[in-house]
Amino acid sequence: MSSLVAPFSVPFMGRALAELLLLALVCGPVSVLVFLRRLAFVADALTHTVFPGVVIGFLVAGWTGIAGGALVAALLTAVALTVLTRWGRLSDDTTVAVLLTAMFSLGVVLVSRQHSYTSDLTAFLFGRLLTVTPAQLAQTAVLAAIVLTGLAVTARPLILRAFDPIAAATAGYRLTLLDLGLNTAVALVVVAAVQAVGTILVIALLIVPAATARLLTDRLTAMAVIATAVTGLAAYLGLLASWTASVRYGVRLTSAAAVVLTLVACYLLALLAGHLRRRPHRPAATVTR
Amino acid sequence: MAEPTAAPVADSALHLAQADVGYRRCAVLTDVNLTVAPGQIVALVGANGAGKSTLIKAVVGLADVLAGTITVAGRPARQARGAAAYVPQVDTLDADFPVTAADVVLMGRYRPTRWLRQIRPADRAVAADALARVGLADRARTRFGLLSGGQRQRVLLARAIAAQTRLMLMDEPFNGLDVTSQDVIVTQLRDLAAAGTAVLLSTHDLRLARDLADTACLIHGGRAVTGPTEQILAELPGTYGYGSQAADLHAARPGR
Repeated sequence: MSSLVAPFSVPFMGRALAELLLLALVCGPVSVLVFLRRLAFVADALTHTVFPGVVIGFLVAGWTGIAGGALVAALLTAVALTVLTRWGRLSDDTTVAVLLTAMFSLGVVLVSRQHSYTSDLTAFLFGRLLTVTPAQLAQTAVLAAIVLTGLAVTARPLILRAFDPIAAATAGYRLTLLDLGLNTAVALVVVAAVQAVGTILVIALLIVPAATARLLTDRLTAMAVIATAVTGLAAYLGLLASWTASVRYGVRLTSAAAVVLTLVACYLLALLAGHLRRRPHRPAATVTR
Repeated sequence: MAEPTAAPVADSALHLAQADVGYRRCAVLTDVNLTVAPGQIVALVGANGAGKSTLIKAVVGLADVLAGTITVAGRPARQARGAAAYVPQVDTLDADFPVTAADVVLMGRYRPTRWLRQIRPADRAVAADALARVGLADRARTRFGLLSGGQRQRVLLARAIAAQTRLMLMDEPFNGLDVTSQDVIVTQLRDLAAAGTAVLLSTHDLRLARDLADTACLIHGGRAVTGPTEQILAELPGTYGYGSQAADLHAARPGR
């Protein structure tokens, strides 16, 4: 039993788990809204477009500047995505793809000017989960509180907008504001998660939890709860697997990647469970003699 | 063609005066004049792509009013947000969306002015009553996508009823409906009109248009012509893509 709990008594492991559990609280409901709005590509774009912000923040103020740089880039992207997809002349996915590739390339150009190019790039892309500081934890908690408060107020209109945008407009909601609100929520989640899991792996936290939950339930509230629980479970199991592989067996297993792989394993299990749940029941054959 | 007897503009539920509507400075319809009085059902008829949906979107602010005016309940449409309810064609919605019939009807009670407490117990009672009116009280907890097409359309009507607005906008609600659902919707529309609700209804079903609406608005070639339904339908045979249906309707007209 102690081998299941003991690793988390080590301070850096405890902080990593706390960071991921905070992210789970916010990624669960946000991922449900991303799923309902079919915004997986937009979420993917946001994770890439914060990249130049992360690099600029690092160049200006070192590792402590990353969150600020990411925040500015994420909020600018949220506004740009809302404006371009709402009033742009190109289709949504084309606009998003142009923005994604342009911003990511800008980030690569900026980071390539560093002497420690390779190690910095790896840290930005895949995060530093085991070096999470108490200050970072506090920062994630504040961002999570802001996003959850925003969702508590706007969840119903956001669901109506996802289900029937014309009805939402008829009821008096301004779709642009709702879109901006959701894009901003996604952007803040990316900012909160970027230092821990990196700009690439954060997309898993925004897509996989809701996709897993949808396979297990038809209810929205249950989806949010299951998505949160699955993320928390994957965080625990992934960190435990990473610790056990490294400490007990001497096999290097990157913690953030282990968490994401565990999350994907949960998705595959839910796929199986969902398939079994939906399989039509055949009436038992009656034998007549 | 003669203009229908119209309610004074200030008293009308919906009024379009010389309105050009479209997207990004490109007009889809020009010089639209239409008045829907409280308690009146007006049918919007026209071929696919003629601009019926654009007209409805202009009323709710999703298409641009490039010239002229649109007023809802006496106020400019953009200031009258929330004064209308909308019923889409059921096939335009995602059947896999994880909501129950009751959830959908409750959406009719959402208001932008209530950010902190969107739903109150009284709202749930109104929604339950609306679902009962369309005969689906026993399906409240069924997932929306598992209902038949006709039942889903009735749920969407219940959502609009629950909104308790004085204007209802319906975008082809009768497409592909079973007879039971069609009867329920027709009955409810008549009851709503009798209670003073104005209805603007786009439809391809000319028989229903004639039975339900005393006034019709024909959309064709970027223009709108409004008049008594019988008179508008008399214009249709051989034109506007309604040839055989309109001819049948005229052949079946009483007194012929």
